[in-house]
Amino acid sequence: MFPMPVQKAAPWVRVGYQILLPIALIAWLLPLLGVAVTSIRPAGDLAAGNYFGVPSYFAGVENYTAVFRDSPIGWYILNSFKITIPTVIGAVGISCLSGFALATYKFKANLWIFFLFVAGNFIPFQILMVPVRDFSVRTGMYDSIYGLILFHTAFQAGFCTLFMRNFIKGLPFALIESARVDGVTEWKIFRHIVLPLMRPAIAALSVLIFTFVWNDYFWATVMVQGQHAMPVTAGLYSLNGQWVAAWHLVSAGSIVAALPPVAMFFLMQKHFIAGLTLGATKG
Amino acid sequence: MAEVSLRNVKKQFGDTAVIKGVDLDVDDGQFCVFVGPSGCGKSTLLRMIAGLEEITSGELTIGGKDMTLVQPADRGVAMVFQSYALYPHMTVAQNIGFGLRMTGHPKDEIERRTKIASDMLQLNELMKRKPSQLSGGQRQRVAIGRAIVREPKVFLFDEPLSNLDAALRVQMRIEIGKLHQDLKATMIYVTHDQVEAMTMADKIVVLNAGRIEQVGSPLELYHRPANLFVAGFIGSPKMNVIKTTVLASNGGKLAVALPGGGTIALPGLGLAVSANQPVTLGIRPEHLAVTGKGDATVTVTLRLAEYLGSETMFYTSLADGGELSVKADGLASGKPGADMTIGISAAACHLFDASGKALINGDLTK
Repeated sequence: MFPMPVQKAAPWVRVGYQILLPIALIAWLLPLLGVAVTSIRPAGDLAAGNYFGVPSYFAGVENYTAVFRDSPIGWYILNSFKITIPTVIGAVGISCLSGFALATYKFKANLWIFFLFVAGNFIPFQILMVPVRDFSVRTGMYDSIYGLILFHTAFQAGFCTLFMRNFIKGLPFALIESARVDGVTEWKIFRHIVLPLMRPAIAALSVLIFTFVWNDYFWATVMVQGQHAMPVTAGLYSLNGQWVAAWHLVSAGSIVAALPPVAMFFLMQKHFIAGLTLGATKG
Repeated sequence: MAEVSLRNVKKQFGDTAVIKGVDLDVDDGQFCVFVGPSGCGKSTLLRMIAGLEEITSGELTIGGKDMTLVQPADRGVAMVFQSYALYPHMTVAQNIGFGLRMTGHPKDEIERRTKIASDMLQLNELMKRKPSQLSGGQRQRVAIGRAIVREPKVFLFDEPLSNLDAALRVQMRIEIGKLHQDLKATMIYVTHDQVEAMTMADKIVVLNAGRIEQVGSPLELYHRPANLFVAGFIGSPKMNVIKTTVLASNGGKLAVALPGGGTIALPGLGLAVSANQPVTLGIRPEHLAVTGKGDATVTVTLRLAEYLGSETMFYTSLADGGELSVKADGLASGKPGADMTIGISAAACHLFDASGKALINGDLTK
């Protein structure tokens, strides 16, 4: 067997593994644990300088309710959903169509268009900052939710098309040919044959795009100023300004902000079933 | 009517000519098999008839109508793929009815046709299963069922049995044969297995490197191969070929040299063959006699004997180093290294000229 399973390795390797693994695990999780502990730490502890010790009492309920009551974080979270969900639907939807077209049809510009989608992703996004802001101001999209939605959909479309095109290329082409000989139109082939077989890819991509867009901080600060359109990532930053050094509240706010992508992942897990095309063709 | 005609059909992929001018007629209701080695273009030719590949030049007519530029869906053909191409997310019933559903057929019509197909192919207990829950043979039957419900003019089969094990292949071969008798439809079948071709076809088309070598019924190709390629391809085990020369040509007889010094007299009436002309002598292993009885004999050394029970195959070497395989009765045996005398009957000999074209056919049916 390769690599050698640890149960079969020399004793010193096994002991070392049993000691080092938990240490590595704790070290990895330390920042997250720190934030979680800080979010249940009472304000008094922080004022007294007790940043990393045991909290004097459990102030979790107090902190979390304060975050929602005294700050617009509820609005920010709602804005994040308003931006992220249409983007996921738009980007994944568009890429299903464009990926199918690029994967199925032979035409001269096929490879060039594909490279165009992929190459866009290689431009360092910092360079785009000023042009995008300029463009959004001129077209009146600046500081609006739909502006962010449009921008994110366009930005993610390149990667999504690459993902979908490669996935569809991996499906047996004989399925499409068989339907063509049967007289099925191209749109019906897409809707009834290809789309159902793309479920694992759609699920995986949705989670990815949801996470990318939800966690985006850079473009939120570039394109949005006002509270009405501010997503929670940039909104957290503005929380910090409101109460100087209110780390317990900021920690609580960040934990809340981090939850939706995690929940999304667990919800979509059952759709990541590989082997959906078993039995379609021989082998 | 569902005759298929190909006139000077050519296919090019870029600079490579894959099909180099094919003329063929398949009659209505005929079972026509395209056979040939890998890469000869038989699948490409089938796909051109289906409409999945463009015809570079030439004409295709189905049922008397020109279908060269017509979309696959409008040609009235149904295709069974080598890989079955079943839709994995649909049940057997949905798979069979899919094409009809998508083209707007009424539900009761779809049900009626599906019932006919599933009765014919014994799929009734499998209708609610998904393809992943079926065996290879069952999947192939579903693929055939999907073709049947479309009631096409022409059925196209692209090596449908190559993914099945040997026993299943024999069984499915018989089923497809019965299907042809029941439906009386024109069927074009591609295979690289010449046993399938011989057992199933009304007409065999032997292809090699994009050209038709010979067209004919199975027995015609067996007894009267037009050239060396067809002679070597049809018939298992392969025909023995001996490169030799014509010694003399007098009256109606040709004297052909045999390895080891003997000669055999073949009927050469009317042939323009001169003395010392290089020729190839062909004789099938099953037409050689281990008893030594025949119009001429040749002495060989036994290399290897294969005992199959029903027959015994002797692989021997000739005096000039060439090889000769002989098929004998199942009770025959021999010791490797021993000498054997093999009898050759003139009636079973084929003679080919230097370019491979047949001069004499050993037609035993005459």
